Amino acid sequence: MEYFYTVVILMALYVILAASFNFVIGYGGLVSIAHPVFYAIGAYASALLARDMGVPVILAILAGGLIALLASVALALSSLRVSGDYLLIGSIGFQLGTLEVIKNLHWTGGAGGLSNIPSFLTQTLGPQAYVAFAVAVAMCTVLLLRWIAHGPYGRAMSAMRDDELAFAALGRNAMVMKITIFALGSGLAGLAGGIYAHYFRFIAPGQFDLLQSSALLTMVVVGGLRSTWGPIVGAIALEALPQAITFINLPPSVLGPLQGILFTSLVLIFMFVRPQGLIAASARWRGRQEEAR
Amino acid sequence: MQTGLKVTNLCKRFGGIVVADAIDLDVPAGRIVGLIGPNGAGKTSFFNLVSGVVAPDAGQVMLDGEDVTGLKMAERARRGLARTWQNLRLFPSLSVLDNLLIGTRDYPGERLSRLALQSGRIARDETQDRLKALDVLERIGLAGIAHTDIVNVPYGQQKLIGVARALMNDPRCLLLDEPMAGVEGQAYRTLQSVVRGLAASGVAVCVVEHNVAFIRDLCNEGVFMFAGKVLARGDVESLVADPRLTELYFGT
Ligand SMILES: Nc1ncnc2c1ncn2[C@@H]1O[C@H](COP(=O)(O)OP(=O)(O)OP(=O)(O)O)[C@@H](O)[C@H]1O
Ligand SMILES: [Mg+2]
Repeated sequence: MEYFYTVVILMALYVILAASFNFVIGYGGLVSIAHPVFYAIGAYASALLARDMGVPVILAILAGGLIALLASVALALSSLRVSGDYLLIGSIGFQLGTLEVIKNLHWTGGAGGLSNIPSFLTQTLGPQAYVAFAVAVAMCTVLLLRWIAHGPYGRAMSAMRDDELAFAALGRNAMVMKITIFALGSGLAGLAGGIYAHYFRFIAPGQFDLLQSSALLTMVVVGGLRSTWGPIVGAIALEALPQAITFINLPPSVLGPLQGILFTSLVLIFMFVRPQGLIAASARWRGRQEEAR
Repeated sequence: MQTGLKVTNLCKRFGGIVVADAIDLDVPAGRIVGLIGPNGAGKTSFFNLVSGVVAPDAGQVMLDGEDVTGLKMAERARRGLARTWQNLRLFPSLSVLDNLLIGTRDYPGERLSRLALQSGRIARDETQDRLKALDVLERIGLAGIAHTDIVNVPYGQQKLIGVARALMNDPRCLLLDEPMAGVEGQAYRTLQSVVRGLAASGVAVCVVEHNVAFIRDLCNEGVFMFAGKVLARGDVESLVADPRLTELYFGT
């Protein structure tokens, strides 16, 4: 049972991560690979606040999201000023640099990781309560992002992606919009980080590396860029798949490479056969009113 | 103060190419000024400088007595400076109506914080903008295709939609870059009457156009540009009749 709870919580967390990453790269058109690092910032901030400063866990999780959000604004302000393309370069540096810093500080636990993170709900109400908590946050995230994408803000995001110059010449502030999208997406990743930390109670820099970036990208692309349900399907499928293989009693020496091959071939197959992903987004923006009509 | 657009000593060069050579030009409120000149004369560049797409090397742009030279293009638009583009620049993933909605001077859903805190107010403003957009489409004769995807609209009508999107701004100054290229028939007259109506209500209009008949029918006066310079200004008839300008226009 314990194992089942773990898998569901991981799925919920990946749904938050994939949905928020889709918001940033799909809806916002902002190419960044630093999503896992905001996940890490949320996890570390929340863990340290709760463990070393006695902040109540629920507040620590929220603060973790907020700190990730602020960090993302700093990155966006410094790199988006130069140009949109610069964000990719800036995000690579930020991803690698932040993890390097975490590895080399002693109060973050260094490369060995941070342990003894206070638990939340699990000891008082049982693990089911934590599962419910994680799933609820995941659902709220998906619904919030869907609501934004299908309203007036979503219309403006589409226009900005289509033609930023024309968008700005009509009086719209593209820079503020990009920073807002990046901040919201990254803040949600930070929130997921806190939820991770207080369940598994141990975090290490290696859990947030570039492999995570590619896993998230795979989830979003295989699921379907710019669709509400695509990244969810992608997250659940790609999280369940490696778990499922572990049931076929294979030696670990085979299992690891097998999972890698599976991921890689999945991406390749989708790029050739179904580039729009499992769930294709409409080529054009459709708002709430339009669906109702 | 309704004085329209006033540009003084506007200069810009791209490497060796001088696209604006000390341009002095004013478009008074309520007037329609036609800008003519051969390909590469710097007409579009002039619009880019005035609307803030390109920063000038020197000179000043005044809108209704206010110096807007230092303002970003979005801020100029929010002060009532609207333009269209020679190559349209519509938003292909939006419908006709949604393209227009993005063009309002204050877009209700632009700020995420407002979206959460004042959703009722935004819904009301959106409804109002929708009615306004439908009204603009009606005026330009395209109300029937409001909900069509922009990519399915023929080029001539897309051209008009570009103008309609600019009208959503309720501009004080409107810059039209070759609005007639690819437009024919009924649309010709519709566009003329819409622009005349705007000027009558006090908007300063500047039109770049190679279609001389259109300029002659529509404009109060014409300005001839060549190699980034304003060479002549006067009524369109006399500019067209000037053999010196005709030679520059068609080359030798
Ligand atoms: N961003 C730029 N960088 C370099 N050169 C430019 C730039 N924009 C315009 N030019 C050059 O400036 C000159 C004037 O171009 P512009 O587009 O203003 O001409 P135009 O009068 O609008 O011509 P047309 O009638 O063909 O539209 C051209 O030689 C063009 O190549
Ligand atoms: Mg031009």
